[in-house]
Amino acid sequence: MPKRERSLQSIPRDDDRPAEPTANDLLALVARGDEAAFERLYDHVSGSVFGLIRRVVRDQAQSEEVFQEVMLEVWRTATRFDPGKGSANTWILTLTHRRAVDRVRSAQAATHREEHVARLDTTRPFDEVSEQVDGRLEQRQVRRCLGNLTDLQRESVLLAYYQGYSYPEVASLLGLPLGTVKTRMRDGLIRLRDCMGVTG
Amino acid sequence: MRSTSAELHTLTGAYAVNALADTERTAFETHLDRCGSCAAEVAELTATASRLGTAVDSPPPPHLRARVLKAAAETRQLPPRTARVPRIRRLREAGGLLVAACLVAAVVVTAQGLGSTKDSDTLAQISREYSQFTDFLSTPDVKLVSAAGPDGATGTAVVSASRDELLFLSRDLPEPPADRVYQLWFLDAGDPRPAGLLPATGSAPMMASGVSGAQKVAVTVEPQGGSATPTNPPMMVISLV
Repeated sequence: MPKRERSLQSIPRDDDRPAEPTANDLLALVARGDEAAFERLYDHVSGSVFGLIRRVVRDQAQSEEVFQEVMLEVWRTATRFDPGKGSANTWILTLTHRRAVDRVRSAQAATHREEHVARLDTTRPFDEVSEQVDGRLEQRQVRRCLGNLTDLQRESVLLAYYQGYSYPEVASLLGLPLGTVKTRMRDGLIRLRDCMGVTG
Repeated sequence: MRSTSAELHTLTGAYAVNALADTERTAFETHLDRCGSCAAEVAELTATASRLGTAVDSPPPPHLRARVLKAAAETRQLPPRTARVPRIRRLREAGGLLVAACLVAAVVVTAQGLGSTKDSDTLAQISREYSQFTDFLSTPDVKLVSAAGPDGATGTAVVSASRDELLFLSRDLPEPPADRVYQLWFLDAGDPRPAGLLPATGSAPMMASGVSGAQKVAVTVEPQGGSATPTNPPMMVISLV
């Protein structure tokens, strides 16, 4: 079901209304330099931010570095968040994913990435990926909806999202033409979107 | 290599999971600006992808909390974007902007010359890009700086503090070595901050955001895909102050 984000007006002004502000509410306050709101936002999103970075980057020390960069960027650029273009959670996780992928790609660029991919090609990594995801996903809905995808749709989406692979790399791993991978990713996400009832 | 509009449209999924290379991402984002249905689909698919992120929740080490909060307390936030207010510019400034506008125009003409001029889609894109830069160049606080690089190459930066953006143009930069790209950096008191890769098509203009606080911009040669920190000494440095 699509989540309705509460508007700023719904933030409790008095202590006798203990409703939890959403990430959108908090980010709007952070944009105005509210450090207490940033602290609450940190508690709200740091688990998914770190979890996603750890999943993509793997290395603990590097993950911690990227995590701190991302959280600081959330603080620094909160003024540029446009609630008309999506929720705060999406904005933060999109930023997170971008930074995590930047990190692994620049590391890979330094270490002959083609050899790297060729080596991975022989180890069928997507089985491992799917298994890990199935075993560790905390949200039942995500797991259930992933089950609605075809194998190639799911592998295309997950290899890109959790491993940070570009679509040509995913194509190479799965032995598929580039165009096929592009459409698998799109079709897979559309199916997920419909299953989860995401409205953007 | 240019992609047609239909090809670009199928990239919504790959874009949402961040599976595009930098150059393709930039081309796609340009396309997004004038494709309402793509933008809507990208918003939905990006929100969908972020659910995959939420699903792998894992708490960071507790000691990072105080560190991040302290760093935030000591970091100035970006100013919000503002509606642009028209203003009469000083002659010198306006002259500089005219140079920048001409540079952009020259680049656009070059780009047209390189591509198939019959490709109306490409033309539409270029004209849209040109109007985007015109808009940027008319921001009241823009400032123009330039510097020379090796072998007669020049770099020009147009900076707007209020928009926290920079337009970078290069002329006569030599082709980067095979498997290498030019990367732009913001230099301030801390570590160099990556500002983006220069377009593969020689002198095409590029926009970079996050310029606030930077004292200089620099160009280095980096491996394909760019680096998180510079791996080579800068071949060109432009002072912004």
